[in-house]
Amino acid sequence: MFIQTIITGLSIGSVYALMAVGYSLVFSVLNFSNFAHGAIITLGAYIAWALMVHYLQVPFFPALLLSMGGAGILAFLNERIAYSTLRRRRAPSLYLMISAMGVAISLQNLLYATIGAKLYALPPVFAMDVVHIGELTISKMDIFAFVFSALTIAVLHQILIRTKVGVAIRAAAHDMEMVSVLGVNLDVLVGVLFFIAGSLGGMAGVFMGVKYMVYPSMGWITNKAYIGAVIGGLGSLPGAIVGGLLLGLLEALVSVSSLGGTSLSTYRDVFSFGILVILLIFKPTGFFGRHVEDKL
Amino acid sequence: MAYLEAILINVAIYAIATLGLAIFTGYTGLFSLGHAAFMAVGAYTASILTYFYKVPFFAALALGVILSVLVSLLIGYPTLRARLRSDYFAIATLGFGEAVKVILENFDLTQGARGLPGIPKFSTLGNTYLLLVLAIILCRNFLKTTYGRKIIAIGQDPVAAEMIGIPLLPNQLLSLGISAGLAGLSGGLLAHYTTFIQPSIFSMDLSSLVTAGVVCGGMGSLTGPVTAVALFVIIPELFRGFALWRLVFYGMLLVIIINWRPKGLFGYEELNRKNLPKLFSIAGITGGLSLFMPTYRWVIDSRGYEMFALFVAGGVAGAVTVLFGLLGKGLSLALAPIAERYHSLRRHLPERAASSSRDHGTAPYGTARPTPESWVPPEPGADTKTPILEIEDLRKNFGGVVAVDGLSFKLSEGELLGLIGPNGSGKTTVFNLISSVYPVDGGTILFRGMDITPWGPTEVVEAGIARTFQNIRLFGSMTVLENVQAALHREGTYSLVEGFLQWPKTVPQVERRLRDESRRLLSIVGLEEEADRRASTLPYGLQRKLEIARALALRPKLLLLDEPAAGMNPREATELVELIKRIHRDEGLSIILIEHHMDVVMSLCRRILVLNFGRLIASGTPEQIQKDPLVLQAYLGEKAYAVIR
Repeated sequence: MFIQTIITGLSIGSVYALMAVGYSLVFSVLNFSNFAHGAIITLGAYIAWALMVHYLQVPFFPALLLSMGGAGILAFLNERIAYSTLRRRRAPSLYLMISAMGVAISLQNLLYATIGAKLYALPPVFAMDVVHIGELTISKMDIFAFVFSALTIAVLHQILIRTKVGVAIRAAAHDMEMVSVLGVNLDVLVGVLFFIAGSLGGMAGVFMGVKYMVYPSMGWITNKAYIGAVIGGLGSLPGAIVGGLLLGLLEALVSVSSLGGTSLSTYRDVFSFGILVILLIFKPTGFFGRHVEDKL
Repeated sequence: MAYLEAILINVAIYAIATLGLAIFTGYTGLFSLGHAAFMAVGAYTASILTYFYKVPFFAALALGVILSVLVSLLIGYPTLRARLRSDYFAIATLGFGEAVKVILENFDLTQGARGLPGIPKFSTLGNTYLLLVLAIILCRNFLKTTYGRKIIAIGQDPVAAEMIGIPLLPNQLLSLGISAGLAGLSGGLLAHYTTFIQPSIFSMDLSSLVTAGVVCGGMGSLTGPVTAVALFVIIPELFRGFALWRLVFYGMLLVIIINWRPKGLFGYEELNRKNLPKLFSIAGITGGLSLFMPTYRWVIDSRGYEMFALFVAGGVAGAVTVLFGLLGKGLSLALAPIAERYHSLRRHLPERAASSSRDHGTAPYGTARPTPESWVPPEPGADTKTPILEIEDLRKNFGGVVAVDGLSFKLSEGELLGLIGPNGSGKTTVFNLISSVYPVDGGTILFRGMDITPWGPTEVVEAGIARTFQNIRLFGSMTVLENVQAALHREGTYSLVEGFLQWPKTVPQVERRLRDESRRLLSIVGLEEEADRRASTLPYGLQRKLEIARALALRPKLLLLDEPAAGMNPREATELVELIKRIHRDEGLSIILIEHHMDVVMSLCRRILVLNFGRLIASGTPEQIQKDPLVLQAYLGEKAYAVIR
C-alpha cells in the first residue's frame, strides 16, 4: 500500500516537475513568475482534445507532439503580446506578473465563453492498462508519464548544456544585459525560451488530460507546480524537478492518510499551500535557489 | 428603479473592496490574489452573526472586519517576514484563498457548498454609500499621515525605505490589515445585500474584478480604482448577452493597461479638476452606450426601418457622449478660478508660518551664513579625539570573490574622511556593511562605542548613521518635499487613530512642523524652490542633493556619502563641495565620502583611505596619497607606473 502511494506520488510529481520546469526557465531569465503558464498548459490539453477527439482521430503520439508545438507557439505569442513591451522597458516584475495574470484570466474565460465548462475526456491511451508487479498495480499511463517526463527533462538539460542557444539561456539567467551586449539577440533568445517552456507545458497538459479530464480551469493545478518550483528554488532547474517530485509524493501521502477518522484528502490543496508558507518561513530561497541581491 | 438601485449598491460594495486592494497593492507594490477570501471571511462572519445569533447589523459588520484583519495578519506575517519577492506573496495569498474556500465547504456552521440562504437584507443604498464615502475619507486621511508616507515609500523603493529607518514588516502588515478590513466590510455588505452566500461566490473571478479595478484605475490612486470598478460593474449590465465574455475582457484590459498605460485612469493622482473632463467623457460614453439599445428598439417599434433606427440610436448615443464631454470641460473651466484660489491659499499658509519662524532666527540657514571661504578642513587628529566609528578586521565575500578583506580604520568625531580606490575595490560594500544592507562575514563595527555589527538596517539608522546611494534611490513619484517628510517619520508623533481621523488638535500641528522642517532641510541643499516638483523629474545633480537632504532628515551623527558628485559637471561639483562643507560644519557631522572626482576629495578631506581589492593600501593626507607608489600602481597598473616612474 505504501509503495503504491509512492508510485502514484512519483507519477503526479513528474508532471508537476514538467510544469515547474516551465516556470523556472522563465523565472531564471526574466525574473518574474509567469502565471499565464497554467493557461498555456490548459490550451495544450485542449489542442490534444481537438486533434484526438473533437475534429480528427489523430493517434496519441502525433497529437502529443502537435500539442507541444501548439502550446509552444502560444507561449511564444503570449510573450510577444503581453511581456515584450514591458521587458524592453525594464518594467518592475510586478507589472509582468499583472500582465501574466491578465493573460491567464482572459484565456481561461475565453475557453468558458467558447467551448464551455464541460469536462471532456481524452482517449484512455493506456490509462486502463495496468501492470502487476507482486501486489502492486501500476497504470501504464503513470509509468509512461514518469518515463517520458524524465526523458524530456534530460533532453532539455542536454540542450541547455550543449547547444549554443542553451548556453546563451544559461548565461542570460546570470546577466541578461551582458548577454545582449555580447551580441545575442534577446528577442530570439526569450522567444526560444518561451517556446521550450510552452511545449513542456503542453506535454504536461496532455498528460493531465489523459489522467483526469480536460476543462477550462484545469490550469489551477499548475499553481501547485509553481509551489513545487518554489520549494526547489525558483529559477533552478534541478530545484524544479526535486520540488515537483517532492510535492507529488507529499500530496499522495496526505491523500491516503487520515486524522481522527476524517480523511485528509479534501484538505490536500490546503496542505500544499501550508507547505509553501512553512517553507517561506524557514528556507525562503528553496533548496537550490539563489538569493538575488540588488546593486546599490 | 429597483434595477438601478441594485446596480448602484453593487457599485458601492465592489468599490469598497477595490479601495481595500488599492491601499495595499497600489501603494506597497505587493500583489494579493486572495482578496476574495478576505471578503469571504467578512461575509461569513457577519452573516452567521446576524442570521444565527441576531446580532445587530453594524456590530456584525464590525466583527467581520475585525476577523478579516486578524486573518490577514496571520497569513501576512509569515509570508511578508521572508522579505523576498512579491511573487511569493501572491502565490501564498492565492493558496490562502483556496484554503478558505475548502474550509468553508467542509465546515458545519457555514453549511458547506450549499451556502447560507436567507440572510436578512440590511444593506441599503444609504448605508453602503455612507460606508463607501467614509472609507474613502479615512483612506485619504491615512495616506496624508506619516504612517501613509511610510507605506508609499516602501512601495516606491523598499531598500531606500529601510535605509531611512522604515521597517518593512510592520508597515506592510498595517497596509494589509487596512486592506483586508475593507475587503471584509465589503463582504459583509455583499452578504446582506444578496441575502445568500456560498463559497463559490468568493472565487478567483471576484479577485480578478477587484485587481482589474486597481490596475486600470491606477496603482497609487484611490478614486481611480473606485471609478474603474464602478465602470466594470455598470458596463457589463449594458451588454448582458456577453456575460461570459466579461472576464475575457477584464483580462485583456489588464494586459493592455499595464503594457501601454501603467499609470491607469488618473495616473498616481486622485480625481481632481484636471481630470474631471476625463471622468465626464467616460460617464458620457457609458450613458451613450446605455441609451443605444433602448433608442434602437423604440425606433424599430414605431417606424421599423433598421438603418434609420441604427442611425438615430447612434446619433443619440454620440450626442450624449459629446454633451457629457463638453459638460466636463465646462465644469473644469468653471472650477478653475476656485481651485486656483484654494491652491494659492494652501501654498501660502505654511510658507508664511515657515518664514515667520525663520525671522525669529531659529534656523541658522538664512542669508547671513558665514562665508564658505572661512571653512578649513578639519584636522585628522585621530589620536586626540574620540573615535565615532571603529572598524576592526572587516570581511565580506560574495561567493568566491573577496570584496572586503580585513579592513580596519577609525573615524574620529567630526572628521571628514575620504574613501577612494579603483572600481570594484569594495568601497560601496564597506558602506553596505556599515549600514547593514549585507551581513558581515567577519570583524566588528563599533559606532560611538556600541557594537552595531549584528544590528538591522533600521536600527543602524536609529543609532545615527545615514547614507546616500551611488545609484540614486529616491521615492520617484513623491514630491521633493514628501521625500524629506518621509524621512522625518520618527517625528510624526501622533497615533494611528488620530491620523485616520486627521484629529484637528494634533495632526495639523505635527504635519505643519514636519513640512516646515522639510523645507528647512531643502533650503540647506538649495532645493526649496523645487519642493512641489515630483522627485523623478528633477535633474540628476539635484536628485543627488535631495538624497543628501533626505539623509539629513534622519538627524545623523555619521553621514555616508556614496559618490555624491558622480555625473556632475565641474561647476555643480564645486557647488557640492560647498554644500558638504556647510553641512559638515553646521550639523556637526562626521562624514565618510566615497568619490571618484579627485578635486572634490582633495579639497574636502584631510585624511584619505585608499582601497584596492578590499584591502587598505594607503592612508594619509591628500599630498601623501598623491605620491604613494602603491596608490599610483593601483590606479595606473604596474606597467604604466613603471613607465612614469
